[in-house]
Amino acid sequence: MKQISEQKIKEKRRLNDVRKNKPDKKIKLRANIIVALLCVIGFAIGFLGILRAQLINGEKYRNAALRQQYSDVKIQADRGMIYDANMKVLAKSAAVFKVFVDPHNIKNEADREIISQILSKRLEMPYEEILEKTKNSKSRYVVIKSQVEFNVKESIVKDLKQHKGLSNAVGYDSDVKRYYPFGNSASTVLGFTGDKDRGLNGIEYYYDNELTGIPGRSITAKNALSQSIGSEYDKIYSTQNGQSLVLTIDSVVQHYLDDALSQVIVDKKANYGCGIVMNVKTGAILAMSTKPDFNLNEPSKLQNPVFITKLDEIKDEAEQKAYKKNAIKEQWKNRCITDSYEPGSVFKCFTASAALEENVVSMKDEFYCSGKIQIADKTYNCSNHSGHGKENIKDGLVNSCNPIFIEIGQKMGSEKFFKYFEAFGFTEKTGVDLPSEMMPIAGKTYHDFNNLGKVQLASSSFGQTFQITPLQILTAICSLGNDGKLMTPYIVDRVLDENQNTIIQNVPTVKRQVVSPKTAKTVVDMMEEGVKSGIAKNAYIPGYRVAGKTGTSQKLLAKGKYISSFAGLAPADDPEIAILIMVDEPEGTFYGSVVAAPTAAEVLKNTLNYYNIEPEYTDEELAKLNIKVPEIIGKDSKEAAIDLQNKGFSVKVIGNKGKVIAQFPAINNLIAKNGTILLMTEKNSKIPNISVPNFEGMNMTQAVKTARSSGINLKMSGYIKGKESLVYRQSAKAGTSIPYASTVTIYFKSSENVADF
Amino acid sequence: MREKTVLKENKKRKKQIGLGGFDIIFFIIVLSLTTIGLIMMFSSSYTYAYYKRGDSFYFLKRQLFFVVIGIIIMFGVSTVDYRKLKNFASLLLIVSYVLLVVVLIVPPPAGYEEFHRWIRLPLVGTFQPSEIAKFAIILFFSYHMDKFYRHNNGLVKHNSKDNIVNIGSINMARMSFNKFLYILILLSTCALIYAENHVSGALLVFAIGFFMLYLAGFRNWQFVAVLILFLLLVMAVIIKPEILPGHASPRIKAWLDKDYSPMKYRWQTNNALYAIASGGFFGKGIGNSTQKHLYVSEPQNDFIFSIVCEELGLIGGTLIIGLFIALLLRGLYIANRSRDRFGTFLCLGIVFQISIQAALNIGVVTDMLPNTGISLPFFSYGGTAMIMLLAELGIVLSISRSSRIRKF
Repeated sequence: MKQISEQKIKEKRRLNDVRKNKPDKKIKLRANIIVALLCVIGFAIGFLGILRAQLINGEKYRNAALRQQYSDVKIQADRGMIYDANMKVLAKSAAVFKVFVDPHNIKNEADREIISQILSKRLEMPYEEILEKTKNSKSRYVVIKSQVEFNVKESIVKDLKQHKGLSNAVGYDSDVKRYYPFGNSASTVLGFTGDKDRGLNGIEYYYDNELTGIPGRSITAKNALSQSIGSEYDKIYSTQNGQSLVLTIDSVVQHYLDDALSQVIVDKKANYGCGIVMNVKTGAILAMSTKPDFNLNEPSKLQNPVFITKLDEIKDEAEQKAYKKNAIKEQWKNRCITDSYEPGSVFKCFTASAALEENVVSMKDEFYCSGKIQIADKTYNCSNHSGHGKENIKDGLVNSCNPIFIEIGQKMGSEKFFKYFEAFGFTEKTGVDLPSEMMPIAGKTYHDFNNLGKVQLASSSFGQTFQITPLQILTAICSLGNDGKLMTPYIVDRVLDENQNTIIQNVPTVKRQVVSPKTAKTVVDMMEEGVKSGIAKNAYIPGYRVAGKTGTSQKLLAKGKYISSFAGLAPADDPEIAILIMVDEPEGTFYGSVVAAPTAAEVLKNTLNYYNIEPEYTDEELAKLNIKVPEIIGKDSKEAAIDLQNKGFSVKVIGNKGKVIAQFPAINNLIAKNGTILLMTEKNSKIPNISVPNFEGMNMTQAVKTARSSGINLKMSGYIKGKESLVYRQSAKAGTSIPYASTVTIYFKSSENVADF
Repeated sequence: MREKTVLKENKKRKKQIGLGGFDIIFFIIVLSLTTIGLIMMFSSSYTYAYYKRGDSFYFLKRQLFFVVIGIIIMFGVSTVDYRKLKNFASLLLIVSYVLLVVVLIVPPPAGYEEFHRWIRLPLVGTFQPSEIAKFAIILFFSYHMDKFYRHNNGLVKHNSKDNIVNIGSINMARMSFNKFLYILILLSTCALIYAENHVSGALLVFAIGFFMLYLAGFRNWQFVAVLILFLLLVMAVIIKPEILPGHASPRIKAWLDKDYSPMKYRWQTNNALYAIASGGFFGKGIGNSTQKHLYVSEPQNDFIFSIVCEELGLIGGTLIIGLFIALLLRGLYIANRSRDRFGTFLCLGIVFQISIQAALNIGVVTDMLPNTGISLPFFSYGGTAMIMLLAELGIVLSISRSSRIRKF
């Protein structure tokens, strides 16, 4: 009842409102319902929408926003430089460009043709190839050519501007190019970089991480049209440029080595040659060369003439391609460490060291060489078939006598021999900081201890039937000059940061004491004697004490093919420089003493001079060799001429005035005794030219006579002894025209008593 | 005696309608929305303005001008007795119809050939007749629904004289006639707007009319039935978007398929979402949006709310939604306490319109609804819309003057 009455009151009230035109209960209720609906399904939807966009898909959207708003550009870090020991640049990077095409921006065929024509002309590429590339509609980034130089890029830009609407279709990305100012020099050692600025070979590869650096990033905010929207949004992560390397290689010494080695390869029509110059005390490599090599600026160009001829002979295209690929790989090899060979007689130094260190042999012990020796069922001949007769160990080394060393080896036994074989580092890598060093393999490259029977021991004693790398040999030779301490060879002296501050300094590392200083000294003395009077005499350098050993090894697999080598140390009393020259398959006289020793002497002499190691001539040497030109300027020409002629010089005076105002050669220049001096008494008088005679094959007397008659001064080098020494090279080519009284260096070597099997 | 009463009444009325007599809370809400809207419109637009017009302040200057004019108009309108509007209700509806027909005939502006939404008038510039139609419907419905409230709700005797309408020879009950009339007006107006290729406008007008008619006295089951019918229609559109006109169906498809291609149909929405997501909880701070740098194209228009969310974050976005809700609730409060029913209807119609439009806009920007061209009141750039909005709010203030609410 009560409810009904309440309802009735409500209804009455409502009708009252309605009558008065006021909003009644019903309207208010419905208005509230609508407002509630609007809030719940209207605004709540929007609020949920914000939550969904922020919480559920937020990560995705935020990343998408960042991706479109910010351009994240990788900034290439500059690759570090490579310097030689004197901070001369061996490798450097320069900014160049990558030219690419965006096929989507090419509007029509006519444009495509014009673009292809311009690119073909400027990039020196076939037109059809470019045309084909621009048709790749799938990509918007078709690289036409990498490593394009700035001026080439600019010329393309200019050409494109002459036509309307072409510029959009071609783009330029930054790229880097590696330059090697010295081209071929130490190419197999330095190595080169590939497509992505990564080192592919040599030091560039081994030290790639140091050289590469860390690329930076430039993050800039941009609007939808890729325009910057203000630097306050920008973030730059700076690049960390690559570190630079300072090598122990000295480009001057490298140049001496390269020159001499190239010469001997050409002269002897050899397969290839290896040369290493090392610092005896530290193990630092001063020069390392393999010839023929390649130009670092065009590593894929074949340079080895043998390969080129062979390539031309191949008719089949596929075969030719395969051969070329292989040949290019071959010419990249740093054979000083990747290839091994039978060291031959050079190894006798180590056999001698071991025997002396173990007291198996004393210096006084006498042996007898009858010209051959029988071990088990094998007979070994001496190079001197009639035999050397009575010899001690020193004579054996000086004469490079095989039977003596076989005998010493047998006396020592396998155990002791192998102990030193290991100690000198022949069963392990040298550990040099270069890639692809060959790992000696027991049973394959050398006889392991268990298989070192009498016969193997015999051949091993004089360096046959096993193989080691040139660097292994030279490192071991260095230990003899370094009081018996075997060093780890190295090629990078220090690593520099961007600001040229040293961050890593390589220090010489002693690997082990192989023999006592006394033994080492004794062996070096014996080696010096070998150069002075023995088989290795062609390595003799007047004024310097050179210790060395030659080697001529027969190739195991190729009968009648030889490897000539020479390893030496100088100065012998306190060795500083060590050198190894190895020539593979020389033609003609193949003895190490004839092929490798003179080459080594040339390099050694230049190097010693370069390092200001003063020559100390004996009187005998001085008399025989070059003398200093006295000062004549200011003197009366006639008096001076008479004075000089009395001293043995040949004199030519130009002009009639009394006083000498110029002389040629200048004061203190070294020329051979009996040389020619040109005196001038008038200004601007012309020096006559003369033609260089051919000295090659002459002995000293003949050479001096010829020089004097043609008005040339001689500087003599090499092993000079009586009539047995003959000129094998001259600094100025025969037939060329040079000024009167110029100096020509001639190199002698002996061709007698040089057999050193 | 009678004169005295009149005098007394006049005095009373003057007191009620005098300046300072409107609802200060509603006024503060309006002013807050207008100020925040103006600031955010400037913040959103200046890069776009700089890029397009070479003047960062291009939109600000114009909008500020319209806001000032609009507020003056709002004050002016608020002092006018809203009941006078009854006299213009029928006239405005007719004008609205004329304009809706004219807009279909005159050539649309360049670049918008597909859409017959705008009329260009000298001095006034371009305006949308659908904007007029919205208000015309609100005003006419309020007027008519108030006048015949008793008939529409069956509170009049069946046989009473004014409950019979003669159409030609047919006699019809007033209630039925009115309901037919309302539906006819609403559907014809919506149809005309739909013919402009302006689905969202039609939808908005329909929603306003639909809610108002519920107030007029349609039965609950009728209200629910139309609601269900509408939901079925929505489902049909979702299942088969092709039934919509050419420009609308790809937008529905792009809403349903987030990886829709061509990308232009999602570009705007995606960039709005990127902006909202980038804002995080507290936002990047005013002026710091990155998405407004031409990613959200025309950021001062329909998608301004995304930039608001990027700069002010979830907090700011929620606050603004809150302000719209406050406007709605305070409008409801004023309407419920209105001195007369006409004021109630008119006030509710106006706040419904603003709320529905805001809710639709935010739903679109947050990808909860398909992309339709609907602007955000107080925020989106547009002079005529702003003046219309503030004038309508002036009416609400006028209503509030005579409402039974505490004045400050």
